[in-house]
Amino acid sequence: MGAMIRKYREVARVHLKSQLAWRADVIFQMFFTIGRILFAYLLWKVIFDGRDEVAGFGFDGMLSYYIFSSFLTQLDLSQGISEEIHNRIRGGTFSKYMVLPVHTEGYFLAMEVGVVLFYLIFDLIAAFVWVLVFGIRLQITEELWVVLCAVLMVALGLLFMVQLTYYLGLLTLKYQGIGTFLMIKNNLVALITGSIVPLVLLPESVVGVMRLLPFYYVTYLPSMLLVGRCREETVAGLAVLAMWCLALQAVICVTWEKYSRRYDGAGI
Amino acid sequence: MRGYRKTGNDKVRSEKAGRRGGRVGRYLRILRELARLRMQQLMVFRLDFFAPFFVDGSLFAVQLLVFDAIYGNVERIGTWDRGAMLVYIGSFSLLNAVSMSLCFFGVISIPGKIRSGELDLYLTKPVSPLFRLSFEQINPGSLPLVCMSLCIIGYGIRTGGLRPSGRQVAAYLLWMLLMAVLYYDMEVLMRSLSFYVLSTSRMDQLEEASLELCMKLPGTALYGVYKLLFYCLLPYGLMATVPVQSLIGELSWAGGLWAFSIVSGFSLLTAAAWRVGIRRYESASS
Repeated sequence: MGAMIRKYREVARVHLKSQLAWRADVIFQMFFTIGRILFAYLLWKVIFDGRDEVAGFGFDGMLSYYIFSSFLTQLDLSQGISEEIHNRIRGGTFSKYMVLPVHTEGYFLAMEVGVVLFYLIFDLIAAFVWVLVFGIRLQITEELWVVLCAVLMVALGLLFMVQLTYYLGLLTLKYQGIGTFLMIKNNLVALITGSIVPLVLLPESVVGVMRLLPFYYVTYLPSMLLVGRCREETVAGLAVLAMWCLALQAVICVTWEKYSRRYDGAGI
Repeated sequence: MRGYRKTGNDKVRSEKAGRRGGRVGRYLRILRELARLRMQQLMVFRLDFFAPFFVDGSLFAVQLLVFDAIYGNVERIGTWDRGAMLVYIGSFSLLNAVSMSLCFFGVISIPGKIRSGELDLYLTKPVSPLFRLSFEQINPGSLPLVCMSLCIIGYGIRTGGLRPSGRQVAAYLLWMLLMAVLYYDMEVLMRSLSFYVLSTSRMDQLEEASLELCMKLPGTALYGVYKLLFYCLLPYGLMATVPVQSLIGELSWAGGLWAFSIVSGFSLLTAAAWRVGIRRYESASS
C-alpha cells in the first residue's frame, strides 16, 4: 500500500515540476481569469444600476460568487485528460499509459493532483489581484465547518470531473471520434456548473432537477457556501456527490473491462 | 495562318471581355471551384461535416439560456429589454456563422502555412493568396447555424415587439455586412502577425477571450477604459452592438460615423499588415 502511494506521489511530483517549464502559460492562465470576472463586473454593474438586489444577491455578493466560482473553474484542469486519451487511442500510442506499473486512472488522477497543486497558488494570487483591481468587498462565510465542507466538496467535485473526463476519453475505444462531443460537453458544463451565471437565477423546478446531478456540487454549491448561502444543502450535497463518484467509478470499471481489449497499439 | 490570327484575336477579345466582365466574375468562378473541391474533401469525413454547427450551436444555445435566466429576474439590462438582447445574440451568432461557413477554417490555417513554407504554393498561383487561403476551406456544415441565427433574430424581434421600418432593416443589413468585414479583418490581422513573430498562440487566446466576452456582453454595457479597449483596440464590442442599435433606433450619427471609421481603419490596417508581411516572408520550404 505504502509503495503504491509512493508511486502515485511520484507521478504527482513529476507533473507538478513539469509545469515549471511552461512559465508563460502560468502567467497567461492567471491573466485570462480576468475574462469571467470582467464579464460579471460589467454585466452586473449595469443590472444593479438602480436596484439593490437580484435573486437575493447584492452587487458585492454577486461579484464574490464570481470570484469563488471563477477560481474553482480555473482549478478544474481535467478536460485535457479526455483529449489526451482520445488523441493517444486514435494515434495508437495509448500503450504509453498501459505499460506503466500503476493503474491508468490512478495515473491521471495523480497527474491532476500535481497540476492542481501547482496552479492553486497562482489562481489564489489571481483571485486576490482581481478583488483589489475591481474593488470588490469580498463576502465570505464566517462558519469554519461550512468552509471545511466546501473544501471537501471541491475536492470531491474535482475527483468527479477527473472521473468524467477519463470515462469520456475511454469512450474513444468504442466510438473512435469524440472530439466534437467533448467540445459540446465543455459548453454545457460551463452552464450547469454555474460558472457563467449563478444557478439560483434559473426557475426553481430546473434547480430542483440540477440538485440531482453532480455538476451542481462541483462549482456552484461550494461557491454559494463560501459566500454564506445554501448552508442547509451542505450535508446532502456531499452525500449526493460522493454517490455520483462511486456510481461513475463502477461505470468506468465496466467500460474498461469491456473495451480495453479493443485497443490496437502502434508504439508508445 | 488566318486561323491562328483569328484564334489570337479571339484570345485578346476574351481577355478584354474577361477584364470587362470583371475581376469580380473571375473571383466568383474561383470561389465556386474552391467550394466544389472543399465539398469533395468534406464528404470523406461525413461525421465531422456538421461538427461546427453542433459545437457553435450549443455555445449560442447556452447563451440564450443564460440571458433567459437573467431576464427572468430583471426586466432590462441597461436600455435593452429581452427582445433587443435576443437580437444581439442572434446577430453575433450570425456573424460567427457566416465566418465559419466561408473563411474561418481557411484563415486559421495561415500561421501554419507561413511557418511551414507552404505559403509558397499560394504565391505562385495567378490569384490573390489571401483570397485563396481564406476561401479554400469553406464549411457548408455551418450553414444551419446561419438559419438558427436568423430564427433567433426573428424571435427577438417578435419578443421585443419591435416594428422596424424598412430604413431600419436596410441599415441593420448594411451594418451586418460591414461588421462581417470587420470580423474577417480581425481574424486575418491576428494571423498576419505570424509573418512577424514565431508563435501567435497568445494572440489566439486573446482573440478567443475577447470574442467570448463580447458575445456575452453588449457594447452598451461598456464604459471608460473597457469601451476604449473593445470599441477601438479590439473592436469586438462594436460587432453586433451597432447593427442592433441601428435596428432599434438607438444608433446616433456620431456612433455610426465612429463605427464606420473603425471598420475602414481596420480594413486598411489588415491590408497593410498582410502586404508588408508578404514582402517580409522568406520561404521555409525546399
